[in-house]
Amino acid sequence: MRIGVYVCHCGGNISEVVDVEEVRSFAGKQPGVVVARNYEHMCSELGQKLVVDDIKEYKLDRVVIGSCSPQFHEPTFQKTLSGAGLNPYLLEMANIREHCSWPHFDKPEAATAKAKDLVNMAIAKVRLNDPLEREAMPVGNRVLVIGGGVAGIQSALDLGDAGFKVHLVEEAPTVGGRMAQLSRTFPTEDCAACILAPKMADVAANPNITLLTYTEIENIEGYLGNFKVTVKKKPRYINLDKCTNCGICTTKCPVKVPDEYNVGLTTRKAIYVPHDFAVPLKYLIDEKACLYLTKGVCRICEKVCPGKAIEFNQKPEEIKFRADTIVVATGYDPFDAEKKEEYGYGRYENVVTALQMERMVVFMAGGRPLRDLGKRIAFIQCVGSRDAQIGNEYCSRVCCMYAAKLSQMLKRGNPERDIYVFCTDIRAYGKGFEEYYKRAQATGVKYVRGRVAEVSEDPKTKKLTLRVEDIFSRQLLELEFDTVVLSIGMVPSNGTSKIADMLKLARSPDGFLLEAHPKFKPLDTLIGGVFICGCAQGPKDIPDTVAQASGAASRATVLMNKGEVDLDPVKAFVIEDLCDSCGLCVEHCPVHAIKVSSVANVNKALCAGCGSCTTYCPKGALVLRHYTGDQLLAEVKAVLASKNEGETRILVFADYTCTYKLSDSVGTSRMPYADDVRIIRVPSGSAITPKLMLSAFALGADGVFIGECEQKFSPYPNAVEQIEKNVSTVRGILEKNGIEPERARSTVFATVMLGGFVNQLNALSKFVKEASSIPPEKRGALDEVLQQEGST
Amino acid sequence: MSLTKNQVIRFSDLNVKFVNEVVEYGAKIFGKDAANTVRYCVQCGTCTASCPAGRRTSFRTRQIIRDTQLGFKEGALTNDDLWACTTCYTCQERCPRGVKTTDIIRTLRNLAVREGHIIPEHKKVAGYLIRTGHAVPIDEKTKKLRVKLGLSKIPPTTHKFAESLGDFQKLVKKLGFDQLVGFKEGTR
Repeated sequence: MRIGVYVCHCGGNISEVVDVEEVRSFAGKQPGVVVARNYEHMCSELGQKLVVDDIKEYKLDRVVIGSCSPQFHEPTFQKTLSGAGLNPYLLEMANIREHCSWPHFDKPEAATAKAKDLVNMAIAKVRLNDPLEREAMPVGNRVLVIGGGVAGIQSALDLGDAGFKVHLVEEAPTVGGRMAQLSRTFPTEDCAACILAPKMADVAANPNITLLTYTEIENIEGYLGNFKVTVKKKPRYINLDKCTNCGICTTKCPVKVPDEYNVGLTTRKAIYVPHDFAVPLKYLIDEKACLYLTKGVCRICEKVCPGKAIEFNQKPEEIKFRADTIVVATGYDPFDAEKKEEYGYGRYENVVTALQMERMVVFMAGGRPLRDLGKRIAFIQCVGSRDAQIGNEYCSRVCCMYAAKLSQMLKRGNPERDIYVFCTDIRAYGKGFEEYYKRAQATGVKYVRGRVAEVSEDPKTKKLTLRVEDIFSRQLLELEFDTVVLSIGMVPSNGTSKIADMLKLARSPDGFLLEAHPKFKPLDTLIGGVFICGCAQGPKDIPDTVAQASGAASRATVLMNKGEVDLDPVKAFVIEDLCDSCGLCVEHCPVHAIKVSSVANVNKALCAGCGSCTTYCPKGALVLRHYTGDQLLAEVKAVLASKNEGETRILVFADYTCTYKLSDSVGTSRMPYADDVRIIRVPSGSAITPKLMLSAFALGADGVFIGECEQKFSPYPNAVEQIEKNVSTVRGILEKNGIEPERARSTVFATVMLGGFVNQLNALSKFVKEASSIPPEKRGALDEVLQQEGST
Repeated sequence: MSLTKNQVIRFSDLNVKFVNEVVEYGAKIFGKDAANTVRYCVQCGTCTASCPAGRRTSFRTRQIIRDTQLGFKEGALTNDDLWACTTCYTCQERCPRGVKTTDIIRTLRNLAVREGHIIPEHKKVAGYLIRTGHAVPIDEKTKKLRVKLGLSKIPPTTHKFAESLGDFQKLVKKLGFDQLVGFKEGTR
C-alpha cells in the first residue's frame, strides 16, 4: 500500500485555523503513507500536478486530499487520479474546511486535533477502497407514451419526429383526451377541435409512432433501457379493414346510451364513432351497451352492414413490447360535482358542469342549442378545488379563465343574458389572462366576490336560488337564476392512479404524480427513465401541458440519444458464499432491486445504493460498495483513535443527499458547534447497522447520531423508517447494558435546517458531557454482545 | 374600539396580537390545531351565506373572523351579534379552508365574558343556575307533567337535595363563575 496525503491551505481558509504542517506531519507517520505534503491550493492546476507527479514518482496506489467538502472537489480530484492512471475510487477526501476550520474558527487547537482525526479517518478508509468501474448501461430508442390526450400527443410527436420509436397507448377509442371536448381555448379563443384535430391526425400518420387506442396497460416491469410492457387491446367488434364508415349500422342500432363525449347531454348508439374528428375515425361496438353482447339478441348491425365488417367473435388482444423510457401523460378527471351536495348537481336539472357548458356552447355555435339556458346564468367557482371539506386543497388553475371564456361567449351570444360569476377571488396569472378577465367584464359579465353557500330549486319553475354573501357590501344575496354552471376542478385520473401503482411512482398529498425535484427535475420521477407531464403531474392549462410534454420528451431524448447511461458503482453487492438465500433483503428492498434464485441477486440498474439491505442481511452477505461495513468500521476506529481520557466524541453519520450538505452549509455560515463532533459521510443513514453503532460505542464514542434526508427529498424510500428501527434496536441494547439510550439519536433534516442541525448536535454533546462517561467495563460488555450476536 | 363608517384605521386602532390571544385561549378548549384555523380564513363568505341565524339577524360570521384576524378586538368581543350564533355548525361544515368557525365563535364568547361583556339575558340564566342548580328551574307546569307521567314531582337533582345545591354553589364560588357573570347574592 502506497498512500499519498495532501493537506490543503485553501489560501488561508484552512491554514489560518488549522496547523496544516502538524496535520501533514501526523499523516506522514501513518502506516502505508509514503508521501505527505501541504500546499496552498490543491485544486489549482499546480496542486493537481503535484498529485500526478507523486503518483508516478512514488508509485502511489491511494490518495487522500484534506481540503474542502467532497461536494466541491471530489469530482476534480477523481479526474486527476484517472488522468494519472489511478482508479478514481482510490481517492478519499478529508473535509477539513466545512467540517473543521470554518465551524471551529475560534478554537485552533481543537480544530487541528479534529483535522488530524478526519485525515486519519480518510487514510483508514482509503486503505480498504476497491477500484470500482462505472458500468455503462445501454439505452435504446424505444419509448412508451402513456395517454393520448394533448400531453401524450405532443410528447409522441416530438419523440417520433426526433426519430425514436414510439408506442402511444390510449385507453379510449380515440386520441384527443379532454381537450377534444372543449369549445375554445382561453385567452385567444381558438377553436379547440380545430387546433387539436391536425395533431391527432399527425400522430396516426407518423411512421415512428405505433398508435394503440382502446388499449389498456396491463403490466410494466423492468427499468431504464429495459421496460417490459404488456397491453390489452380491447375488441372493437369491427373489422377495420372492411368498415367503410358508411354509418348504416348506427342508424339502425336500437340501443341508446348517454354520449360520454357530450358529457351525457346527448345519446349515442351502441355501435358508434366517438366523434367526427376521432382518430382513428373508425366504428366500434360498446360491449356494455350492445344487446347481442349483453343479452345475446339483436345482431341488426351485422345484417345491415354492407361490407360484412361486424365481427362479434373478436377477443381482447394481448400485445407485449419493450421500451427504454416512458412518458406518463395520464391526465386528469373532472371533479365529480355530485360530491358538493349543497349545489344540487344531479338533483336539479338546471345545474350543469362547466364541461357540459363547453359542449352546450359548441352546439349553440352550430345553431343547434341543446337546451334553453334562460336569461340568468350563474357560474360558481372553485367547485372541487380549494376545498378542505372534500379534501382538494389545491387550486385547479384553469377554472377562473374558462369561466371568463364561457361567460363572455354566452354574453356575446345573447347580450340580453345576465351573467354572474361568483368567486372567492380571480386568479389571472398567465400570459394574457388578466386582459382576458377584463374583457369578460367589458362584455358585461358581473363578478361577485363571495363563495356560494347553497343552491335551492323551486320544484315548480325549476329556477335556482343561490345564497351568497357579497363580501364587499356585507349583504346577503338570494338571487334567482335559470341556469347554474359549476366550475369544476381537476382530480388525478383513474389512469394516473393505476399507472402510479404499477410503476411505483410517488404522489404528492394532492394525489397527482410527484416530480423528482420541484425546481430542477420537474419532469423526472424518482424512477430512472420515467418522465411525467401534463395534468398527471398537477392541474394546468394547455400551453403549460404542451410545454411539459415537449420537456418530458426532451428528457427522455437525453437518455436515448446518448445510447447509454453511466451507473454509479455505489450499489449493493452480494458476497455469494455468505448468502443462504433467505430472501429477507427481497422483502425489504425499497426499490425492489433484489431477487433470489440460488443466491440473492442485485439488479444494478434498479439499486438506489441506499445500503438498507445491508442492515437486514442476517449473514452479512450484502455489502454496499465503497461503504462496506469494514470500511465504515475502519473510519470509526480511526476517528476515535486520538480520544484521550476525559474527552468526549460524538459520531455523526450524515446522509450525502441532505445532512452532509447541510453540515457543509453550517460550516460555510461559520456556525460553531461542539468540537467533539466528527461527521462521517454515508449515502443514506439506513446503511448504518445496529452493529456498527454498537461498535462505535464499544470503541469509545459517547454519542452516535444519524442524520437523514427528509423523505420527500430523499432518493431512498423508507430510509427514515429503517433508521428509526435501527436506532431503537440500539437503544434497547444500550439500556440493557446500563448505558443511557439517549446517546443514540437520529433526526430527519432538509438541507436548509442549519440552526436545527447545530442545536441537535450541541444537545447531544451536552448530554454526553453531563452524563457520566461510559465506563470501560460497560464498553466491554457491548463488545461481548457484539461477539455473541454476530451481526445484529 | 369598534368599527365606524368612514374612519381611517391606523395601527394604533388595532390590537394586532388579538388573534394570538384567541388562538391561545381557543387551544385550551379545542386544541391548538383547531384554534389556529382562524388564520386560514380567506374571506370567501361561505359561512355568512350558510348561516341560518344570519338570515334573521345582523349576524355576520365572516365579519367576526375578519375582526379577529385584523385585531378589532372590541368589535369582535362587544358585538351583541356574537351571541346570535346558534352553534348549528353549518358554517364549520362548509368552510372550504377548514376554519373551525363555530369553535372560534365559542372561543370569542369565552373571551368576551372574561372581559365582562355579557348580555342581560345570559346573566339572568347564569343567576338561575347559581341559585337553583338549573339554567331552567322547574315550574309548576312541569311538576304537574312529571306526576302525570308517573314520575316524582321533584326531580332527583339540586331541586330535591338542598345539600347538593350547597356543594354546587361552593363549586361555583371556587371557580369564580359567580364573579365572572356578575352574580350578586340576593338579587333576582
